[in-house]
Amino acid sequence: MSLLALSNVSVRYGRLTAVRQVTFSLAEGEILFITGPNGAGKSSLLRAIAGVTPPSGGRIDFADHDITGRAPEDIARLGLSMVPEGRDVFGSLSIEENLMVGTGMHSATRGWKARAATELEAVYATFPILKDRRHSQAGLLSGGQQQMLVIGRALMTNPRLVAIDEPSLGLAPNITDQVYERLIALRAMRKLTLLIVEQSSTRAMMVGGRMMLMRGGEILLDGDARALGQSEAMQAAYFGYGEH
Amino acid sequence: MGSLLQVLFDALSLGSLYALGALGIALIFGVMRLVNFAHGDVIAACVFALLWPSVDAVAIIFAGNLPWYLLIPFLLAIGAALSVASEIVVFRRFRRANPATMMIASFALGFVIRYFLLMLFSSRPKSISLLPSLSQPVEILGARIPLLQLITIAVTMAVLFGLTTFLRRTRFGLEMRAAAENFTMARMLGVRANRVIMGAFALSGALAAAIALILGSQTGTANIMMGASVMLMAFIATVIGGMGSLAGAVLAGFLLGAIATVMQVILPPDARAFRDAFVYGAVILVLIFRPQGLLSARGTKERV
Amino acid sequence: MMSASVARRTFATPVLLGLLLIAFALVAVAVGSKPFNQTIIDIFLKVIFVVGLWVFVGNSGVISFGHIAFACLGGYVAAWTTIKPMMKGMSMPGLPDWLMQTEIPYWGSAIVAAGWAALWALIFGSVLMRLSGIAASIATFAMLAMVNSIYSNWESVTAATSSVVGIPIIRSIWPYLVAALISVFAAWAYGISRHGLALRAARDEPTAAAACGINIPRARLIAFVISGAIMGMGGALYSHSIGIVTPDTYYLGLTFITLSMLVVGGMGSLSGAVLGVLILSTLIQTLRWLEAGVQVGETTIALPGGVQEIALGVVMILILMFRPAGIMGNKDLSLPKRAALETKGPKSPRT
Repeated sequence: MSLLALSNVSVRYGRLTAVRQVTFSLAEGEILFITGPNGAGKSSLLRAIAGVTPPSGGRIDFADHDITGRAPEDIARLGLSMVPEGRDVFGSLSIEENLMVGTGMHSATRGWKARAATELEAVYATFPILKDRRHSQAGLLSGGQQQMLVIGRALMTNPRLVAIDEPSLGLAPNITDQVYERLIALRAMRKLTLLIVEQSSTRAMMVGGRMMLMRGGEILLDGDARALGQSEAMQAAYFGYGEH
Repeated sequence: MGSLLQVLFDALSLGSLYALGALGIALIFGVMRLVNFAHGDVIAACVFALLWPSVDAVAIIFAGNLPWYLLIPFLLAIGAALSVASEIVVFRRFRRANPATMMIASFALGFVIRYFLLMLFSSRPKSISLLPSLSQPVEILGARIPLLQLITIAVTMAVLFGLTTFLRRTRFGLEMRAAAENFTMARMLGVRANRVIMGAFALSGALAAAIALILGSQTGTANIMMGASVMLMAFIATVIGGMGSLAGAVLAGFLLGAIATVMQVILPPDARAFRDAFVYGAVILVLIFRPQGLLSARGTKERV
Repeated sequence: MMSASVARRTFATPVLLGLLLIAFALVAVAVGSKPFNQTIIDIFLKVIFVVGLWVFVGNSGVISFGHIAFACLGGYVAAWTTIKPMMKGMSMPGLPDWLMQTEIPYWGSAIVAAGWAALWALIFGSVLMRLSGIAASIATFAMLAMVNSIYSNWESVTAATSSVVGIPIIRSIWPYLVAALISVFAAWAYGISRHGLALRAARDEPTAAAACGINIPRARLIAFVISGAIMGMGGALYSHSIGIVTPDTYYLGLTFITLSMLVVGGMGSLSGAVLGVLILSTLIQTLRWLEAGVQVGETTIALPGGVQEIALGVVMILILMFRPAGIMGNKDLSLPKRAALETKGPKSPRT
C-alpha cells in the first residue's frame, strides 16, 4: 500500500503553471529524492502536498485520506510533516519552544508537557547541540543548527512522512553531511518515509533510494537513484538537451 | 516632589490605556496581518453595552448596575464576543486578501459598528457614573492621586502580567506566538489557524472591554466616538513598537503616554493644544527612519 | 510618440464620463427643484474628491486615508479668502493683515486652494512617499489626524472646532460641473502621461520598474501633489456649497464616504472612481429619503438615523469580499468595439 499517492496533480499561480499533471506514489518506509533544476516545480509540488498552495487539479491521498485542498494543519495532523525551504525557525522563540510548537496536536492540553518530554529527549539525543542551547533564541543559531532544529521540530509531531525542501541549501558540505547522516539514522530508527527535494542529484546518489527528476513542472525520470544518476538520460533531462 | 509624582502617575495611567489598546491591535496584526481599524469602535460598543438602547439624552443604565464582580466579566465577555463575531462574519473571508484590502474592510466595519451605536443610542454623549467610588483621591507623598488612576495602573500591570504568563506558559500561548511569527509554518506543524485567530480576536476584544471600563469610569460619559482617539494613539504605539511585536506595542504605549503627559507640562500654554499634532508628526518621522518600528522584534516583517 | 496614440485610444473615457456628468447637470436643470440641485452639486463635489483620491491611490496602489486633509486645507482657504473682512475679524482674529483684507471670488479661492493644498502635498509627500505598503497608509492616517488636530485647535486662525460662517454660497450647478470636468480630464491626462504610466508600472511590478530606472518615490510624489491639488480645489468648493466650514467636516466621515466610493467603483480605473460616486450617491440619496420618512397611507415609515452609513459600510465590505476590483473591475469606459486602455489593478496578493 502506498502512503502517499498523487494523481494528475497540477499547481497554477495565476496564468503560470508550475506543476503539470504529476502522478506518483510513495510506499511506507521509502526514501524519495525529487531533483531538478531551478524552477522545475519541485517546491510547488511539495507545497501542494503540504496544503500550503492547494492544487488546481488532480488528487492527493495520504494515509488513506483524500487530502486534496485540505488545510495544512489537517494534513500535518494526519502525520505528514513538512520542512520548508529556507529553514523557517520561529526566531524569537527559544529552541525548546520551537520544538514544542508541533506537539500540541496529538495530546490533550492536560499533561501536554509531560508527554512531549519523551519526544524531546529523543530529539535531543539525535541532535545534542540543540539540548546544549535549548533556552537560547532560535534566531541566533547557525544555518546548520537551524536545519537540525527544523528537522527535529518536524520529528516532534511524530510523523509518518517527512518532506524536506532543500536541506542542503546554504550549508557547508560537511554540515550537509552531518544533516544527512542524522536523517538516515532517524529513518532506520523510526521507520520514517522521507521525501527530499534537492537541486542536484549528487546527494541522492550518495544516499541511495529512489529518485525522480522534474523539469518544467513534469516528472521526466523515475527510478533508482544510483542507476539513474549514471545514465545518459539523466544528463540530457537535467540540462535540457535531447528531445526538450 | 508631589507634583513630579503626579506627572509620573498621569503618564503611567495614560500610557496604560495606550498600551492596552496597542496590545489589542498588535495581537491581531501578529496572527493575520490585519490593521484593525474597527478596534476603537469595539471599545465604544463595550461602553454602550452598559446601557439600555435608547436615543434619549439621559442614559438608562442597564448592565452598568451590576456589582463589579459581575460587571467586569460581563463586559470582558461582550468585548471578546463582539471581536470574535467580527472575525467570523467579516475577516475570515479576507484571509487570502492583501493587507490593504483587509485594512479598508476593517475601516468599513468600524463605521458600521459606530453608526449601529448611533442608531441605538444617538450621537449625543451620555453621562454615566460607573464605579463612582473610585474617583476620590488618595494622598501619596504629598500628591493627590485619584484612586481610579492607581487602579488603572494596577489593572494594566495585572493584565500585562497575566497575558505574558499565558503566552509563555500555556500551549495555546506558544501556538499563538509561533503563529504570529510565521503563520504558515505554524500551520504545517498542526497549529489550527482558526483557533489561533479566534483566540487572538477574543483576547483583543477583552482588552478593548478593559479599556472601555477604564475610559468609562475616567470620563463618566459614553460617546460613540470615544474609542477613536484611543485607537489612533494605540495604532501609533503599535507602529512605533514594530507592527506585531507585543512587547514593543506595550512599551511604545507607555512611551507615548509619557511623551504626551510631559508635553502637557513643558509645552507653553499656547502650544499645548497641539500636543497630539506633535505626536502624529513624530510618528511619521519614526516611520520614515525606522519603518520596522523603534522597538521592533526580530523576524516580524510585513508579509506581502 | 507613444502617449499620443494612447491619448487617442483612451480619449473616449473622459469624454464619456464628462457627458455622463453633463447629463446629470441637465437633469437637475430640467427638474428645477432646489434640494435636487443641491444633491447634484454634492455629487459633483464627491466626483472631484474621489477622482482626486484616485489619481494617487489608483495609480500608485497605495491606500491613502489622509487625502481629506487636503480638502480641509482647501476648505479653510475659501474661508480665509472669501469671507467679508469684517466677519473674518470676529471669527478668525489671528489672520495676518493682508489676508484679513483679501476678498476674492469663489473661483479665485478654488484656484488658491488647489495651489495651497498642492504645496502641502509636496511637503508631506516628500516625506511620506519614501514609505510603502501598510506603513504608508498609517502615515497618511497620521497626516489626516495631524491636520485635523491643528485646525481644531488653532483658535485664532480657524476658530477651532466652531463653524466659520459667512462663506459666499454658490447655488448654481455650473461651477461645480466645470470643476468636476476639470478633475476628470486632469486625472485622465495624468494617467496617460509618462509619469502616470511609470507609476502604474511601478504599482504592478515594483522590482522591474525600479530596474527600468523609474524613481518610485518621485513618481508617487507627482501623483500625490496633483491629487492634493484636486482635493484642495474640491475642499474650497465644498465650503462654497454649504457656506460654513468646520474641521470635522473634513475628517473621518468624508474619508470613509470617498474611500467607499472608490472601492465600490473600482480603484483600478478612472471610470470606476466616477461610477462609484454616482452609484453610491444614488444609494445614499435613497436612504436619506427613507430616513426622512415615506408616507405610506396614513403612517410615515422612517428608517432610523445611521442606516445610511451602515448600508455604505456593508456594501463596501461585500464588494471587497466578492469583487475586490470594484464594479468596474479595472476596466475603463470606452466606445464599443474599440480597445480600451486596460489599466490593470494592483497585483493580486500572493499570501
